Amino acid sequence: MAKITVDGTVLEVPDGSMLLPALLDHGCQVPHYCYHPKLTIDGSCRMCLVKVEGMPKLTISCNTPVRDGMVVDTRGPEVAKARQGVLELLLLNHPLDCPICDQAGECYLQDYAFEYGTREARTQEPRRKALKRVDIGPRVVLDQERCILCRRCVRFCREISETSELAVFNMGDRSVIDTFPGEPLTNDYSICTADICPVGALLSKDFHHKMRVWFLDETESICPNCSNGCNIKVGTARREVYRFLPRRNDPVNETWMCDAGRLGYRFVNEDRVRVPTVGRGATAGARPFEDAIDEAARRLGSAARADGASVGAIVSAHLTNEELFVLGRVVAGGLRTAQYDVVVRLGDADDFLIKAEKAANARGARDLGLGAGARTGALDLAGIRAAIEAGKIRALLVTGTDVWDAWGGAPEIFERLETLIVVTANAHPLTTLADVVLPGLTFAEKDGTFTNHAGRVQRIHRALDPGEQPSDGDVFLALGRRLGMEIPPGPFDPGAVFGEITRAVPRYAALAWSAIGPLGAVTAEA
Amino acid sequence: MAGRVVTVERRPRPRAMDTMGPLLILRGLRITARHFFRNLLGFIRREPTIATIQFPEEKQAWSPAMRGMPVLVQMDNGKERCVACGLCEWACPVDCITIYPAETADEVERYPEVFNIDMSRCMFCGFCEEACPEEAIVMSERVTIATTEWRGSLWRKQDLLMPVSELRTRLGHIRRSYERAGAPPAATGTDTAGTAGTR
Repeated sequence: MAKITVDGTVLEVPDGSMLLPALLDHGCQVPHYCYHPKLTIDGSCRMCLVKVEGMPKLTISCNTPVRDGMVVDTRGPEVAKARQGVLELLLLNHPLDCPICDQAGECYLQDYAFEYGTREARTQEPRRKALKRVDIGPRVVLDQERCILCRRCVRFCREISETSELAVFNMGDRSVIDTFPGEPLTNDYSICTADICPVGALLSKDFHHKMRVWFLDETESICPNCSNGCNIKVGTARREVYRFLPRRNDPVNETWMCDAGRLGYRFVNEDRVRVPTVGRGATAGARPFEDAIDEAARRLGSAARADGASVGAIVSAHLTNEELFVLGRVVAGGLRTAQYDVVVRLGDADDFLIKAEKAANARGARDLGLGAGARTGALDLAGIRAAIEAGKIRALLVTGTDVWDAWGGAPEIFERLETLIVVTANAHPLTTLADVVLPGLTFAEKDGTFTNHAGRVQRIHRALDPGEQPSDGDVFLALGRRLGMEIPPGPFDPGAVFGEITRAVPRYAALAWSAIGPLGAVTAEA
Repeated sequence: MAGRVVTVERRPRPRAMDTMGPLLILRGLRITARHFFRNLLGFIRREPTIATIQFPEEKQAWSPAMRGMPVLVQMDNGKERCVACGLCEWACPVDCITIYPAETADEVERYPEVFNIDMSRCMFCGFCEEACPEEAIVMSERVTIATTEWRGSLWRKQDLLMPVSELRTRLGHIRRSYERAGAPPAATGTDTAGTAGTR
């Protein structure tokens, strides 16, 4: 550790570290554009200038290694004047686009111009013209006029996505960011360039002109779209999800997330099942929640009483650990069947963040013993399908709708069932075949935990208020009570259920609900 | 807390009021009668002397500082000047403005697909006008906003548009007040510019 004096305060910083990250780690507000903790040092923006005693002139802190006994001034008049000059240069050609720029409100240029800049431009010359609304890729749009040439995006494409689509073209005053002819920005992480763009030059097409960022409420959560469990912030406004932004968690996703995950938020807003329905096809009608639960329990219960082996259940890997735990109890204790398995949709994977299992809690479902592999002699997904086709399983409780694709989207399988109960948040062909559809909630509307592929238990928080609608956990509890299980009254409480999980599952024994911080907690090795 | 009793000395009514009462009534009647005959004379001579304005046949000439209902400035090409930046929505203390932005092929890139003002909430504070960087929402002289059903108080974009020619007085007033305050003039160019001045 090296001791440095910053604005009169002595700080201990790691040896060999650069000055800027060391200052930022200690909460010093040093303005910067081109520095990014996960990218190499560029030193092009000149915004992080500080005064170091003994150095002939101001130096950029992002590229100055710390030295024991260093005396740094980050706020003095000399530094302030230099910053003002740098800002003036950066703003020289920056368009006054703020009213129509999506970055407004979370723009470093705006923030620093307010904090360190001058109020008026001293130039009267017309601002530099460059291309606007350049279509550089399927998911990102570029505005060359707004660019301040910090080259974060260029470095991202070189170092993180390793696709090198972006580069600086031309020289001096004419420098612009662009793609090479015929090679658009198509990598799987392309919207991250819009995240790291300190100004509004690179923007997500999906979020473009949708919502002002200052209206968004941001809730810390976990991306629901694959088992990597990237940490995100869910941006909500007007009772809808508008975007996901990655949240830094170095062991999980650093500061990145994939485009597919980021754009996979629409299911929260669209095609929702809000009221329970009873009856198949044309006879289906909306029913009060209590009636629908009664009907579901009656049908499943009578099938289970007649023959325990005639009832099966499909477990969704989109449910939280707490819901899965309750569901497991209800299936094993209420339906008294061993014929249940976890369904996980599989997709593309890469060696960075994208995992093949397209559900956030596939690992959690297996950890809690809901996979068929955890029980000897239990039918797995294919076995359950075969049993349905053979007429052995006649009643099926399905959570989520992933099983539809897993079984090839064949309605005839489900039509063979005498009883099909579906608990899902979204309308789906499967819900039209169900005898009872019970609405569930999406990850954005509930509290709970997901366990990612590496066994890290991470919290999701309620971002949207579901109103009166019961959560999946409440649905399972109500079902269990109707099936004659001894469940104390009261609503589903994820915190309490997590306590039960830690007592029941050895791997989770060392964890505690209140101790799962924003970065999650790792389960014990098996 | 214990109550505190303050004894107030009540002054007696002036005796004159008791004895002079009928006389004072007559004095009041004289004033009324004087105005009646003066107004009657004015009516006959067609030189009105009364302050009452025969609304809606007659309308008062407002000061440019008067804040009526907020409206959207409609440019000569028929489009709104608004770029849906959302600052008025943010500034509005009663949350009466709702904007859904969308993209347009025009140079300004952005326009309000939906721009609603709930006039049952609006309190005519003019913060929206002050927040607007485009001089796109201004306090008009429109005050006839009464409605018989509450849905009628929801004003949509098409209802809110008012040609810029009808708003010159107010726009002039805004610019003068900004100049007096020493603030730099708004980025917007001339009233008839084809696009809002966002460059």
